[in-house]
Amino acid sequence: MSEQIEQALERKYDAGFYSEIESETFESGLDESVIRRISAMKNEPEWMLEWRLKSYHAWLEMEEPDWAHVDYPKIDYQAISYYSAPKSMKDKPKSLDEVDPELLRTYEKLGIPLHEQEMLAGVAVDAVFDSVSVVTTFRDKLEEAGVIFCPISEALQRFPDLVKKYIGSVVPRTDNYFAALNSAVFTDGSFVYIPKGTRCPMELSTYFRINEMNTGQFERTLIVADEGSYVSYLEGCTAPQRDENQLHAAVVELVAMDDAQIKYSTVQNWYPGDENGKGGIYNFVTKRGVAHTNAKISWTQVETGSAVTWKYPSCVLKGDNSVGEFYSVALTRGRQQADTGTKMIHVGKNTKSTIISKGISAGHSNNAYRGLVQMGPRADGARNFTECDSLLIGDKCGAHTFPYIESRNPSAIVEHEATTSKVSDEQLFLCQQRGLDTEKAVSMIVNGFCKEVFKELPMEFAVEAGKLLEISLEGSVG
Amino acid sequence: MSQWLEQVIDAAQISDYLAPVRQQALEKLKADGWPARRNESWRFTPLTPVEKREAKQAVQADSLPVPAIDNLNAIDLVFVDGVLVTQVNTLDVPAGMSITSLNNDDAATQQAISSVYGQVKPTRHMFGLVNDALCQHGIFINVEAGAKVDTPVRIVNMSSQNVDAHTRVVVKVAEGASATVIEQGFGDTESLTTAFAEYDLADDAHLEHYRFAMFTGKAKQLGGSHFKLHNRTTLNSTMVGYGSELSRLDVDIHHAGEFADAKMNAIYLLAEGELFDLHSTIEHAMPNGTTEENARGIVGDKARAVFNGRIHIHRDAQKTLAELNNRNLLLSRRGVINTKPELEIYADDVKCAHGATVAEIEEESLYYMLTRGISRSKALVMLNFGFIQELINDVPNTAVREWLAPILSERFAQMEVK
Amino acid sequence: MLSIKNLHASVEEKNIIKGLNLDVKPGEVHAIMGPNGAGKSTLGYVLSGRDGYEVSEGEATFNGKDLLELEVEERAREGLFLAFQYPVEIPGVSNMEFMKESVNAMREQRGEEPLTAAEFLKKAKEACKQVQLPLDFLKRGVNEGFSGGEKKRNEIMQMILLEPKLCILDESDSGLDVDALQVVADGVNSQRDGERSFIVVTHYQRLLDYIKPDFVHILADGKIVKSGDASLALEVEKSGYAFLGKAYEEAEA
Repeated sequence: MSEQIEQALERKYDAGFYSEIESETFESGLDESVIRRISAMKNEPEWMLEWRLKSYHAWLEMEEPDWAHVDYPKIDYQAISYYSAPKSMKDKPKSLDEVDPELLRTYEKLGIPLHEQEMLAGVAVDAVFDSVSVVTTFRDKLEEAGVIFCPISEALQRFPDLVKKYIGSVVPRTDNYFAALNSAVFTDGSFVYIPKGTRCPMELSTYFRINEMNTGQFERTLIVADEGSYVSYLEGCTAPQRDENQLHAAVVELVAMDDAQIKYSTVQNWYPGDENGKGGIYNFVTKRGVAHTNAKISWTQVETGSAVTWKYPSCVLKGDNSVGEFYSVALTRGRQQADTGTKMIHVGKNTKSTIISKGISAGHSNNAYRGLVQMGPRADGARNFTECDSLLIGDKCGAHTFPYIESRNPSAIVEHEATTSKVSDEQLFLCQQRGLDTEKAVSMIVNGFCKEVFKELPMEFAVEAGKLLEISLEGSVG
Repeated sequence: MSQWLEQVIDAAQISDYLAPVRQQALEKLKADGWPARRNESWRFTPLTPVEKREAKQAVQADSLPVPAIDNLNAIDLVFVDGVLVTQVNTLDVPAGMSITSLNNDDAATQQAISSVYGQVKPTRHMFGLVNDALCQHGIFINVEAGAKVDTPVRIVNMSSQNVDAHTRVVVKVAEGASATVIEQGFGDTESLTTAFAEYDLADDAHLEHYRFAMFTGKAKQLGGSHFKLHNRTTLNSTMVGYGSELSRLDVDIHHAGEFADAKMNAIYLLAEGELFDLHSTIEHAMPNGTTEENARGIVGDKARAVFNGRIHIHRDAQKTLAELNNRNLLLSRRGVINTKPELEIYADDVKCAHGATVAEIEEESLYYMLTRGISRSKALVMLNFGFIQELINDVPNTAVREWLAPILSERFAQMEVK
Repeated sequence: MLSIKNLHASVEEKNIIKGLNLDVKPGEVHAIMGPNGAGKSTLGYVLSGRDGYEVSEGEATFNGKDLLELEVEERAREGLFLAFQYPVEIPGVSNMEFMKESVNAMREQRGEEPLTAAEFLKKAKEACKQVQLPLDFLKRGVNEGFSGGEKKRNEIMQMILLEPKLCILDESDSGLDVDALQVVADGVNSQRDGERSFIVVTHYQRLLDYIKPDFVHILADGKIVKSGDASLALEVEKSGYAFLGKAYEEAEA
């Protein structure tokens, strides 16, 4: 049976097309002048440029990490172009009508219509294409509520003080190698500010698309939820199918002030490379949130893409009674490698965190959970519950669990459980006996395995995630 | 490079029949150098107490009285300051077993020793390599095929002066044979002991094993017990760790045959500024093996417990059942617990699980005991010690169990007081 | 012996006991019946002093002492015993060790010498026999791996050993078959000596066939709504709690 399951892990990658769009792309290479050019193109304030340059010099001094369970050829940082934008975007279109129709078609093909009337009513989208934001929908409606949702490059013009106050406050410039690189060269990304006591009237969402060849995408997202506010934010990403690897090194910072709640969901579907491991995105992402008193940060991610994924959406539970959650499904197949997990840093009293991680490995892939739960000396009454489950499909893949637990508080409670299992012959047999084909049966079993995580996703995304998983598993069974 | 390691490398004199292993170890020590601070293997266990130490071994040592385990009729082998002080050739050894020194002229014995020395223990343990290169005093225990030896062999490491002691135990249990080996170490004076033991268990062999790493205070203990299990072997191991300025125990259980069954229980009780670090690695290289590992510890005062439990299921190890459970209790705000259970799995038809908890005692249990009139402080002691008691109850040897229970509860009572 | 006046108590800020009055004299057996959610188990927890059960109003005196001022273990040592509906399992702490500690805590309170291990073992064995539990139960962890019935019998065994003044039996009949019920009831009846008092909390009348109550109280929505003699229990058995009307329905909801 498992051979059947294992057979042909060829997969369809629906988002693998390339859009013929004339772009202005920097020649590859990275030095100070590139950073100055990026900053100049975006007309940034002087402090921003300085910040970038400081990051760049720090990055030069840093060593690229060498991860035990992730294996990829050395990245040539001089072979990457650090800026690419559709030419048509140069004049900064004022409305959707002025946007290059080819761009709109690209998003439409990806299932993300940008015309508001065609959109899912409850979702505002910021569409980022290579290094620039193409359009942000429903801005007027959001601004009525006092919510700021715009490209970070625009926020630097309109709300420089807000950006200056919070950027780098959660993920310091030199936090790690890729965060430092991002801090030097980030091009666009979303900025969200929810004012005090405001419940954001709709879901906010950013859709990242890498289109141009040999470019890296370095976006930066900053979400600030002021006291007592609430926001749900979704992130999606795709890239064309190519034989070359491309680098995506993003930084996401969340600030949840007292009593605020941020729900951050990701469906990551970057091009994973072919079954032999050729091509695909290197997805090296730093995501972290700080939760102040009574605040809550919830990360939900469905990771199906990328050749290599390295990301640990984390929570610093700084305020008393703050809550951190991490729900993750990571599916790897072919030659994909995922090393993902979370860090829950309990600082305040009675802080609570929950980690539910589901890893599914197929083909020749390796899927690792790596996490840290830390109970500080002040974290009286803090609690963590962690559950890591791995499902192996076939016997050429690997599933790994590396949880670090540190406690310095006698009243803190940490519980970690991990199990591993396979899609059993009995389960398959039962499904088949009830008339389901193997493929459907496996997809059902896998969906069941992931249910705890899917139920955390906003409705529209849950459906998408389920479908994505189904497509991803297609052909992975007899 | 640390001063200590440089002196260790300089001190190595390699001339005996173990030269190839010693030479390799030395080369690797030179190549690897002193572990960097971020080295994963020493991430939470600083080696500063050794780094600048003077490497010096004792030339001779006097015999010391060895605390007995009541009602245990064992063969005692004693190292003092790394020197074997027991006259091995005068021992009364049961039929089917032989005990000799590693310094041995007999070619066949040398060959048997060489087949295990440095062969079971992985080369990634730095202090194991030091022991490979420098160990001059060691014991070889051989159990013949089919021999069922009931008498336990107890190997004791004691320190009396500020020197480095490097002792080695090599055990071969042949097909269908069984044996009981107790490794015990204690002392609290400034000293350093690397005590490594390698066990090669042939098909159908059975080993009951104990390791009591009870060095405390300024004594630095860096040791390991390493097991190679062939087809259908059974291993039942109980470990007890006390902390000291630096205590590290590396355990490797390698399923090199099918249907092997390993059970390992570990207890650690740490007080004051003690540190105890247990690293265990279970390698399932072959199908149908089972492993059950339970490690439980209590950390009081300013102590630090480090636990790293790795289960590695290789591609071919289908139908493996492996479970690891680590439970900790932290009694003090100044204490630290670092635990990392790891699973690394490359085979799909396996059942593996691990769990780790750091917890305080359950309110409900405490309430129940209070309603029975038991004082809060007494109830806390009983509850806290209860999960350690469970593992003590699991000790297969009655004499050992009855010896262990009171000394551990006494140690715990003292931790509570502080 | 026990006097409860206008007791109000809450759990997690939810009011459960809402003005309860009850007087128990030495040697009396009081049955407290009532629908689910009436606050029956809460009463036992409040009287024994469980954390999280907050008394907002009223008083409870036990042998002239203000019960509510005492710590959990002090109440126990004063002679208040609670037989749990769902006794917790405590692996690693042996029944023997646990009960010896407990019995000696009571003896100390009474100014008696602690029992030696041998003396205690003798008493424990007798008690074990009385509730028909095998002797190896003494060696096992407290309630560890016991069946529901064994746990209940273990509670009764503890009651016999601790010789309390007032026993609160919280649904000691639930989940028992007839034989086990008989054992539990016999254990209880053996302890009736004219001085010792009992509060028997139960949902069903069945247990009261075995343990004859002097008084029966119906608890609904946090107060005693009706009191009577043993015949009241039979009435409940026959026609259920429907006579409670609205209060009952609310409690059930």
